[in-house]
Amino acid sequence: MGALLELEGLRRRFGEVTALDGLSFSVPAGQVAGFLGPNGAGKTTAMRAVFGLTDLDEGTVRWNGAPVGQADRRRFGYMPEERGLYPGMVVGEQLEYLGRLHGMRADAARAAAGAWLERLGVADRAQSKVETLSHGNQQRVQLAAALVHDPELLILDEPLAGLDPAGIDTIGGVLAEQARSGRCVLFSSHQLDQVEDLCESVTIIDHGRLVASGRVDDLTTAGERRLVVRVEGDREGAWARGLDGVTVSEVDGGAARLVLSPAVDSDSVLKAAMAAGRVTEFAFRRRRLSEVFREALA
Amino acid sequence: MSGILVGVLLVCAVALRVWRRRGRRAAGEPRPAGGLGPFSGDVGLVAAREVRERFRARIFRVGTLIILVVVAAAIVIPKVEATKAGPQRVGVVGVLGPRLEKTVVASAESVGASVRFSPEPDQASAERALRAGRLDLVIVDRSKIVVNAAIGASDTSTTALLARAVSQALGDAEAVEAAHLSPSQATALSGARPLPVRSLQPSKPTGAAQTTSVIGLILIFVMLSQYNTWILMGVMEEKSSRVIEVLLAAVRPVRLLAGKVLGIGIVAFAQAALIVCFALVLAEAVGSDLLRGTAPLVVASTLLWLVLGYAFYCWVYAAAGSLAERQDQVQTLAFPLSLPAIFGYIMGLTAAGSQNASLFFKVLAYLPPTAPFAMPVLVGLKVVTWWEFAASAAISLACTVAVARLAGTIYRRAILRTGRRVPLREAFARGAR
Repeated sequence: MGALLELEGLRRRFGEVTALDGLSFSVPAGQVAGFLGPNGAGKTTAMRAVFGLTDLDEGTVRWNGAPVGQADRRRFGYMPEERGLYPGMVVGEQLEYLGRLHGMRADAARAAAGAWLERLGVADRAQSKVETLSHGNQQRVQLAAALVHDPELLILDEPLAGLDPAGIDTIGGVLAEQARSGRCVLFSSHQLDQVEDLCESVTIIDHGRLVASGRVDDLTTAGERRLVVRVEGDREGAWARGLDGVTVSEVDGGAARLVLSPAVDSDSVLKAAMAAGRVTEFAFRRRRLSEVFREALA
Repeated sequence: MSGILVGVLLVCAVALRVWRRRGRRAAGEPRPAGGLGPFSGDVGLVAAREVRERFRARIFRVGTLIILVVVAAAIVIPKVEATKAGPQRVGVVGVLGPRLEKTVVASAESVGASVRFSPEPDQASAERALRAGRLDLVIVDRSKIVVNAAIGASDTSTTALLARAVSQALGDAEAVEAAHLSPSQATALSGARPLPVRSLQPSKPTGAAQTTSVIGLILIFVMLSQYNTWILMGVMEEKSSRVIEVLLAAVRPVRLLAGKVLGIGIVAFAQAALIVCFALVLAEAVGSDLLRGTAPLVVASTLLWLVLGYAFYCWVYAAAGSLAERQDQVQTLAFPLSLPAIFGYIMGLTAAGSQNASLFFKVLAYLPPTAPFAMPVLVGLKVVTWWEFAASAAISLACTVAVARLAGTIYRRAILRTGRRVPLREAFARGAR
């Protein structure tokens, strides 16, 4: 059996605000798990709880069946939402220092720091101070800091925020590699649809409570059918708004995204579209994670 | 002195090792990798980083250089001034005569000065010479003495001492002459010697010990202020840059704080040792008497109280730094914290300057926030016994342990509260781990 992180019945209040409200979920090894929810849903508080960075009013965090202790945490890797590095310290030395704090010997930490900087494409900045790096490169160094000691569990809070597509690809590739090598990987994002391709499983929360959890394939193929239809000359999707059993969930660039109730025949929708004008796009789509979230709350 | 410094560092290292071992045993943690020395493990790593980064910082190197220059000036300038000080230049209008000249020379010797006579044609030219600084004092027609600046009752300059002594001696001579005494009577009077005065209290310290006290006091104040600011800013920066979250995922808060305090302490005492060694070598080279007599004892006491003062204040400032989030909040916190040190420093300067330790000042020497400033001065004034000194050090150490525990609690609870300044009430309440 692979490693397993379990969060069970987590509760945390900050004055009048309830950050975690009985949250429970688990993260199995070997897959990239997304931890999703809107801003203020409680993602960061839950992640901090894994590292003991916030007290819990109730609940337990377990690693391989036992409550997490300081010795376990030294084998975890953490990338906080507010990036945390010494701005005036040299990149290579900083990574070596963090590796050693996690119990590595100096030479091993130095070698690992060099290897990760190389892998993340910032080896040429090893002797630069962190404060001189661009946002994207700081993000890569921060990820290297979480990985340098070869952690068994990797927890990343909003690792993709502010990154360009190349940065997202790089970090996404690293997360997939880590998961394939048998590690537990959990990363958070408030942009549900952006991370859909990176995750194999997701946990979606809101107001500190679990909204949905499961494999991405299962969540996105479940529920009512989605159709995307584009009709020339009708950029607002007005043709579909009166159809029985059809809801226009959004219109993007002239393409109407429709949700069909089980009784509706897609042929009748196609006929209605053709009656309104020339149909240039007509395709079934999977549910988006944002739709999973909205429908779970509805 | 260097021995004391090394001894204190060794004691700190052993205490730290015992503390770490106990902490690991209590937490059931394995021994961290990284060697066997007292500075290995996470506390040692944190301390080593602090040492490396501080030594590398240009501001540290420039600051040390400035302190060395100031210390050099404090040693060399008095010596140069003392060398430059020649005989007092006494202008004479009219005829003084060999007997009165002898009287004036004797008066000068009685106040530790020598004189060089300069005949002046009239009072007006003599006064012009006084104003121009070519003369220090003028005797006009054996009947009056003129100086440039008015002499106050508390004026202890050589010119003032000489003017008083010559005025008294010439007045006596005039009285003897007016009394029409026989030559033998006049000789007996002029040969009068003052009666010896015996004091019940021990003699006042030498000027060297007094000056060393003042220099030591300034050194303690400047260096403690600097090291405390390092602690305050260092803790605040780790918190505001959020690096603390990454660190605390691997290190427990109290051990992180201990490493920081230890690292900055090592840098601080390395700097202090450099400055003291530099001062000793320079003083010896220029023949300064700043380190003669009881002065070495004052230097040793100053160094020891620098260590004890740092040990006490570093925890207070670390706790304060953990409550702050931004630079302006740090300044708001730093001012009230610095008040006891400023108070002790001013009281110390006053006592060292007046060479008089009041009962109140002696009480300050037993209070840990002011003891680092008061006790070295009492040593300089020779008004403290060894057991009083030891008692004060013991009180300071005991309070340091209590303050460290309290600071550890505040630090642990406040360091992860981000976004605003954490009120003390909240830091003591249940909060972040």
